[in-house]
Amino acid sequence: MSRPRAPILRLGDTLIASVQEALIDADLLGLRDELVVDVKRYRATGVIIDVTVLDVLDSFAARTLRNIVQMTQLIGAKTVIVGIQPDVAFAMVQLGLTLKGTDTALDLEDGLARLEVTLGREGRAR
Amino acid sequence: MADQESMLSVAPISREEVVRRKAFLEFADADVAILEGVNEFAARYTDSVIEDFYRHLMAHDETRAFFTDPDLLLHVQKMQKAYFRRLTEGNYDEQYVANRVSVGAIHERIGLPVKSYFGMYCYYLRAVLERLREEYKESPEHAFTVFKSLMKLTFFDMGLAIDTYIESREHTIQMQQEAIRELSTPVLLLRPSLLLLPIIGLIDTQRARQLTEQLLRSVRSNRAKVVVIDVTGVPSVDTKVANHLVQAVEAARLMGAVSIVTGIAPDIAQTMVKLGIDLMRITTVGDLQSGIEEAERLLGYTVSKITCTEKARGKEQS
Repeated sequence: MSRPRAPILRLGDTLIASVQEALIDADLLGLRDELVVDVKRYRATGVIIDVTVLDVLDSFAARTLRNIVQMTQLIGAKTVIVGIQPDVAFAMVQLGLTLKGTDTALDLEDGLARLEVTLGREGRAR
Repeated sequence: MADQESMLSVAPISREEVVRRKAFLEFADADVAILEGVNEFAARYTDSVIEDFYRHLMAHDETRAFFTDPDLLLHVQKMQKAYFRRLTEGNYDEQYVANRVSVGAIHERIGLPVKSYFGMYCYYLRAVLERLREEYKESPEHAFTVFKSLMKLTFFDMGLAIDTYIESREHTIQMQQEAIRELSTPVLLLRPSLLLLPIIGLIDTQRARQLTEQLLRSVRSNRAKVVVIDVTGVPSVDTKVANHLVQAVEAARLMGAVSIVTGIAPDIAQTMVKLGIDLMRITTVGDLQSGIEEAERLLGYTVSKITCTEKARGKEQS
């Protein structure tokens, strides 16, 4: 297998899956499995999936992303999707793919800030 | 002259169209021959017809208003004479058509009402009919034939001129629509990461698309987190418009921006509920003010009025 299309980086309690090039369905499923395992392994509390480079997100991708959000939620990590481009966002809503119930942010920076806010608040509550 | 030419380009009439029009009016070569036959006679009566014609125009306030300038009056009379002569000179070719079209455009430009335009033709035909009756006392049949041909030709001219009127208006309407489209989709940066999108006028599919694209681009370039969409200026909302709105909001959300819709009028709210439009997925507040307050709350701004003592202190410092 060649280099991963979406390497997963660790930044403290946060995992960052940075998509590097167009993903086929198998890549997405691979990413999903890898992330779920890593969240468990590293006891991560936050996950960021950066899709900046993607110029298309189809229904399969949208469903897989939602699945990742739900799965990581079940094992204790909050996932934020970042970097959806204007054209991609427009095309997605036209196809009815709204990623309902998913946290989104403009880019990696905003995503990290979002996680800090949500997780920080949760931390205080505990 | 340049103006005339630009007006011409507004209503280009093809050779086929000219043929079709003539065919419909049953304006045939025989008619051309008949008109050419009375050319000499027409040259004799033109001057007197023109005089009567302008006496008639000047007797009515609405048409007199167009000829207050004596120089202009002379010029127009000259043109009119040339036109009346032209009517019996045969050769009603494309150049003739182009000339008629440009004259129609000029009349439209100066704002001559269609009713006056028609009235003038009517007066002209009546005046000529009178002259023909006197000239051909011996053979009324011939006068009748000539008049019939002339009537066909003037109706042909009228058709051309009126089409120019309509085309010109339509052109104006189209230009205005484009202007509205360009003007009406500003996305304003109200505070760092707070955008305001005031929507004014009807939203159709094309405009909704443009609006959404512009909003998304602004979200990215301004790193906006909250967008206030104000629909106070939207006169009616149907299922389609609501869908466009929902799409804009959800697309913005995919880019990490929360939207607040403000300014839905009471009657529009009623229609929306009656139509079963569900905006539950969208945050809506009553007016723009509460929308901005809500946005500020989301962004963590607090706005407070400074007291008199603080104002005074501020002045001292500066």
